[in-house]
Amino acid sequence: MKSGLIGAVASIAIGGFSVASYPGEIRLSGAGATFPAPLYTRWVSEYQRAHPSVKIDYRSIGSGGGVKALADKTVAFGATDAPLNEKEIAAMGGTDAVVQFPATLGAVVPAYNLPGVKEPLHFTGAVLVDIYLGRISSWDDAQLQKLNPDVKLPKTPITPAFRTDGSGTTHVFTSYLGTQSPVFKAEIGVGKQVKWPLGQGGKGNEGVAAVIQQTVGSIGYIEHNYAIANKISFGAVQNKVGKFVLANAESVSAAGDETSGELRGDILRADAWNAPGEKAYPISAFTYIVLYKHLENIKTQAEAEALLGYLRWTLGPGQKLSEAMYYSPLSEKVRSAALGALNSVTHDGKPVLVQP
Amino acid sequence: MTTHAVATPADRPKGWSREAMSAPPGSGGQTGVARSAHLGDAALGWACRLSAAIVFLMLISLIAVLVHSAWPAIRQFGFGFLVSTEWRVNELERPMRDATGQVVLIDGEPVMETLAPAFGALPVIWGTAVSSVIALVIAVPISLSAAIFLVRVAPKLRIAGAASFLIEFLAAVPSLAFGIWALFVLAPLFQKYVGPFLQRVLEPIPGFRWMFYETVTVAGRNIERPIPLTGRDLFTGSLILAIMILPIITSVSRDVLKSVPRTQIEGTLALGATWWQSCVAMLRYGRSGLLGAIMLGLARAAGETMAVTMVIGNNSQISPSPFAPAQTMASVLANEFAEASEGLHRAALLYVALILLTMSLVFNVVARRLVVGGISPTGSH
Repeated sequence: MKSGLIGAVASIAIGGFSVASYPGEIRLSGAGATFPAPLYTRWVSEYQRAHPSVKIDYRSIGSGGGVKALADKTVAFGATDAPLNEKEIAAMGGTDAVVQFPATLGAVVPAYNLPGVKEPLHFTGAVLVDIYLGRISSWDDAQLQKLNPDVKLPKTPITPAFRTDGSGTTHVFTSYLGTQSPVFKAEIGVGKQVKWPLGQGGKGNEGVAAVIQQTVGSIGYIEHNYAIANKISFGAVQNKVGKFVLANAESVSAAGDETSGELRGDILRADAWNAPGEKAYPISAFTYIVLYKHLENIKTQAEAEALLGYLRWTLGPGQKLSEAMYYSPLSEKVRSAALGALNSVTHDGKPVLVQP
Repeated sequence: MTTHAVATPADRPKGWSREAMSAPPGSGGQTGVARSAHLGDAALGWACRLSAAIVFLMLISLIAVLVHSAWPAIRQFGFGFLVSTEWRVNELERPMRDATGQVVLIDGEPVMETLAPAFGALPVIWGTAVSSVIALVIAVPISLSAAIFLVRVAPKLRIAGAASFLIEFLAAVPSLAFGIWALFVLAPLFQKYVGPFLQRVLEPIPGFRWMFYETVTVAGRNIERPIPLTGRDLFTGSLILAIMILPIITSVSRDVLKSVPRTQIEGTLALGATWWQSCVAMLRYGRSGLLGAIMLGLARAAGETMAVTMVIGNNSQISPSPFAPAQTMASVLANEFAEASEGLHRAALLYVALILLTMSLVFNVVARRLVVGGISPTGSH
């Protein structure tokens, strides 16, 4: 909440003081998903160091906001954790008008607060469902104890924590749980915001992280990088082939790679959760960049070239920054599919030449 | 609340302005100075009217915008919105159940039903009402005692000025600061000490079990589970609200009690009342004003956002237990508005905002009338 306010003030200040641009300077703006925002901000600053004439402004206003801003043509590109749905594509002019490609991969981890428990706990999808539906209400529950035979689990009541705002994180987590339990899918459903029957809500990843940090016995779902940044313990989750896997760059990238076969056309989407494969971490997901295929929201050829130059760079050298920021780089297969989609972008009816 | 008391302050400015406006400018043998003074009066009069009109128009347009933006939800849910507990942003497809919770089968196959997004405000209205009432129950006795202290005791101790300043300063603390304090001090304190203590003492007593258990309905079956005592619940939310409305109730009550004529208090004392009895008489004399102060506190409690959002647990459920997480109208707006892109979801949130605005408006109007009635001396000056 606080950082949001500071961000708003800062963006007003920046907007107010940097209106004057020298000739040849190109300004581009993007908006959307909050989950990859730390990485996107880093990408922008690295890219601008090498290309001082291009100024890019990314505002993390939420996935829904990013898609809406692009539909309103107030930004050059949007970012969303949940791939575009049919209604959103129609609002932008149909399947021939839009390009969507994965920019990086993230993971949602079951993070918990259990003082004294050192080893990462093991979870299965079914156990997570039962915790969130209230069927498992204490940490020393037989099912949990069976999954973690070497850990002495305390008789502490479990407080499930969840996101109260609409978010890609909830979308990924509920999508995964939906694959694990038909009851979950029928009663709670899958989406950016659902009605949890019990537990405590927090706004944003930081809100859920705060609930977990403050409440002994709590468990919540947060982005991998938030768990790392806040030093919150998180567990390993059993994947489709029965292996318990912790989220890390390798296991999340593997999940993305396993599902890359779903990537088709220029509106790419692949659901990386519950991916097959020994190494795959099961609560993984792509996060996407969306833009207009014919760049009707971009005025000049130079701007179009700069935009494409930047987006190609994120898929190339930019990927190396992913891991450093606790996201997961795209595999070669996914990267080439994404570059293929970008190649279809035109401006003024001509393919866009990319600046070196 | 007597009728002439209400009428007095309203009459005074009207009489004043009528006098200033209705005198014909430049009529008769007036000097130039008088004429320009009249012009100035007229200009000021019109400027005041314009400003007053702007304030009024702002309120009207606020209501108009809210009604307009909330219209899809108003049309869809009507007044049923106020009593429905459903808050479902997503479409759900699930097996249909009969009244007993059994899945309806045709030829052994469950009948599926698609549930469209639905919105109902009862849980957040409940959360707002209950947290405000608990806050009042805690804050009112403390505030009234503090006000009596400020009026009757503090002047003798020569600390009236300092004490009043401190209480008014408390009112100026941003609510976010209270929220952070509650989150980092109050909630852990409750979780570590108060909660377990209450549970140990109260739970064995017959009739108190409901405070510590909640029933969750999953797939038509009820599961009873212990409520984790986390300190992020309706009770802590109410506690922080109580702290936040203390200064406003105290300072308004102080003004009301100050305006009780000395002759009244001296009269009771002369008749042989004790100090305590004279305080009661003073409270009774200013009761409508004090009621107004309480209503102002209630209005603030109902509209309070950030501090409550941080400690109330943010789960829209109607639970009889004060230790279960809850949600208020203001906190559901704080939580969901930014990402509510779907039309009906946004409209439903604005419908909630409209209800909140209407409620605050009613509280404030009632409070104003009561305070005005309470302060006005009834023929004793």
